[in-house]
Amino acid sequence: MATAASTQTLPMPKDLRISPLGRVEGDLDLRITLNDGVVSDAWTEASMFRGFEIILRGKDPQAGLIVTPRICGICGGSHLYKAVYALDTAWRTHVPQNATLVRNIAQACETLLSIPRWFYALFAIDLTNKNYAGLAEYDEIVRRFAPFVGTSYEPGVTLSGKPIEVYALFGGQWPHSSFMIPGGVMCAPTLSDVTRAISILDYWQREWLEKQWLGCSVDRWLENKTWADVLAWADENDAQRNSDCGLFLRFAQRAGLDKFGAGCGAYLATGTYFQPELYENPTIEGRNAALINRAAVYDGNAYHDFDHLNVREDTAHSFYRGDKFLHPWHGETDPIDPAEGHKQGKYSWAKSPRYEVPGKGAMPLEVGPLARQVAAGRPDAAAHQDYDPLFLDAIKTAGPSVLVRVMARMHEACKYVKLARRWLDALELHDRFYTKPVEHAEGRGFGSTEAARGSLSDWIVISNGKIENYQVVTPTAWNIGPRDRIGTRGPMEQSFIGSRITDPSDPVEMGHVARSFDSCLVCTVHVYDGKSGRELSQFRVGETG
Amino acid sequence: MANVLWLQGGACSGNTMSFLNAEEPSACDLVTDFGINLLWHPSLGMEMGDNAKRIFNDLASGKTQLDIFVFEGTVIRGPNGTGRFNMFADRPMQDWVRELAAQANAVVALGDCACWGGIPATEPNPVDNVGLQYLKRNHGGFLGAGFRSKWGLPVINIPGCPAHPDWVTQILVAIASGRAKDLALDDLQRPITFFKSFTQTGCTRVQYFEYKQSTMEFGQGTRTGCLFYELGCRGPLTHSSCNRILWNRQSSKTRAGMPCTGCTEPEFPFHDLKPGTVFKTQKISGTIPKEIPSGTDHVSYMAHAAAARVAAPKWAKEDMFVV
Repeated sequence: MATAASTQTLPMPKDLRISPLGRVEGDLDLRITLNDGVVSDAWTEASMFRGFEIILRGKDPQAGLIVTPRICGICGGSHLYKAVYALDTAWRTHVPQNATLVRNIAQACETLLSIPRWFYALFAIDLTNKNYAGLAEYDEIVRRFAPFVGTSYEPGVTLSGKPIEVYALFGGQWPHSSFMIPGGVMCAPTLSDVTRAISILDYWQREWLEKQWLGCSVDRWLENKTWADVLAWADENDAQRNSDCGLFLRFAQRAGLDKFGAGCGAYLATGTYFQPELYENPTIEGRNAALINRAAVYDGNAYHDFDHLNVREDTAHSFYRGDKFLHPWHGETDPIDPAEGHKQGKYSWAKSPRYEVPGKGAMPLEVGPLARQVAAGRPDAAAHQDYDPLFLDAIKTAGPSVLVRVMARMHEACKYVKLARRWLDALELHDRFYTKPVEHAEGRGFGSTEAARGSLSDWIVISNGKIENYQVVTPTAWNIGPRDRIGTRGPMEQSFIGSRITDPSDPVEMGHVARSFDSCLVCTVHVYDGKSGRELSQFRVGETG
Repeated sequence: MANVLWLQGGACSGNTMSFLNAEEPSACDLVTDFGINLLWHPSLGMEMGDNAKRIFNDLASGKTQLDIFVFEGTVIRGPNGTGRFNMFADRPMQDWVRELAAQANAVVALGDCACWGGIPATEPNPVDNVGLQYLKRNHGGFLGAGFRSKWGLPVINIPGCPAHPDWVTQILVAIASGRAKDLALDDLQRPITFFKSFTQTGCTRVQYFEYKQSTMEFGQGTRTGCLFYELGCRGPLTHSSCNRILWNRQSSKTRAGMPCTGCTEPEFPFHDLKPGTVFKTQKISGTIPKEIPSGTDHVSYMAHAAAARVAAPKWAKEDMFVV
């Protein structure tokens, strides 16, 4: 309990606006220790459990195509994309080139939806926080980004629905189609589907991406190869200066978003989008070479090839029985009562994914747009692969931050809309979209993709014609997972540390950090005073120590 | 103005994402033009911390009038009835749901999970999920079969995985504008305006169904035929308006070649996803569909099917959805 003396170390906050943070999906509690206004420690606590992996045991091998998209309504198409590759590799299917193109288009369109929807509905409205009322152009920020009524919010949120109209043309609906099946896709598009898809994407590119967000063409933006280029771009002319992107870049720096939220500085992308002719017979071994957006691990200094066999899930601080450190093919999901778990020092429903980096041991790795764009900076890309040095330069020259993470995500809109257009043009409508597979009774598969918010993977073991084990490792687990067996904090836990909180009763800075990861969680922050141990927030969730 | 609170239990946020796809009216239109006062929403709410908690407490105590309580996701009761698998704002979410539902003028269960448990309640239902007033087809659910909101209404179920955005916006507008009592509900408490017709109603494949011509495989195979006979489509057995009010303004699953999985019905996912049941029509003696279109019987169905096959014109055996 707080003592009279300790309450004097910080003024009692009058307006306690701390948690739930909201505007992320699911339930996360975040506990923070503050020392003189600076975050000195952090614990992320996922507080909801549904048990999808338990449901999948013993079910039809294809059950993951229906069940896993329902893990997340925001990246359900990404769940479908990796679930189908887990089966393609397990059943050793043939996937016609058209089917790969359609899968790529659908996955890209889901991400294109997510970019503006996340920016306007989830992230940017925090810039209207009263903490920033003293900054120049605050009134303009409120005019544009205020929820529901902002002049950019409303079209940003509504136009975000356009790219997934393209998803619906191929998959029937978004969210929650299951139209990708082992051996291809269920649809066989017609000329009008493709023409309409092109027209919809063009409309979205013109009306939102170029007119509203950039104030310039996609091609002009993509000329930016360094962080200095980006900063110069923002001051190049009035159109760019006054665009949502120009205003955001300027205001974010005033608000200090380039100064905190760095994270662990090590990154993982499992990669996504396959070059159709290189992945007609999907295998785990052939995956890296067939990827367009590459897989890579960047340990802070050097790149390493991604190998799924180096992935482990640590449960030392997670609400599961025992203290496991297993590859997902051998993974276990055996939940315990959180009340019991707390007694064992456990504090989250998320497991802690770790990657065995050669020569460095098991490391936490940040996933997401920034990680993908760092992977894109690796030299020696094959002709079909993406090479893009911009964000490797950004983390080297400016350092990772909330702002750099946000910009990596927005940057991808320009890249993916061009890819989607290229794939639409490549469809051969008279060719095949599906090759009926042999449904082998035994097999092991691995499928992975990049959801908007990061690497998303399935490991499946099929035995006797049914699922023996199914493990899903989500980007949220990579980013918000708790400490591991040796006490190393997860990437998001690390990224809170060192942040200065202006007003402990309204730690909007923590909202920025959490939402810059776009973790699928409803966050709840507990702010503790490091000197007194007194909880500043009166709004606690769960039992925390 | 109608005060609306929207919370998520064991949810994927898919219904929220679907809702945000709405146009005419859009989600923003509801707030600015249609008198919806959205007090808080997990993905859209501005308030954090104690300000958010104050909103919940004022609603739960009756200090603030709660006109519409929208709940998305299952009510999680585990472990052992404690609800600790889903904590929210200091307490098990189930405790908030009980108190808020008791204060609400109208309660809306949005999506399968909130209506009847949905996918998370699939065998073995690991965290003891339940819908607001049903568990699968069993009446009762979390609030009990006798539950009535302050306006005397049972929970209004808007099922689907996810629900179509228009189903949501139009029901919210109806309730907010005082038409809640005009909403006729079916025996599963779904608004009949959206759930009287079948998923098949308006399906572009219905002429193939008429002449019992099957799609034999996916991909290029879906340029022809009906998905009911081989690929497990539940369109003739499922109540929804998916082919009357198209998805994302463009299409529907069955139009795109994906079998309807029956996601507006309490049994979804059907057959508990047992081996051999996914995207495969369940049959008797290898030929006769085990489940036949609603309202008919096997003898009538077989007689009709035999006659239809004989009557099938040549075009009914050809591709129709061609390049």
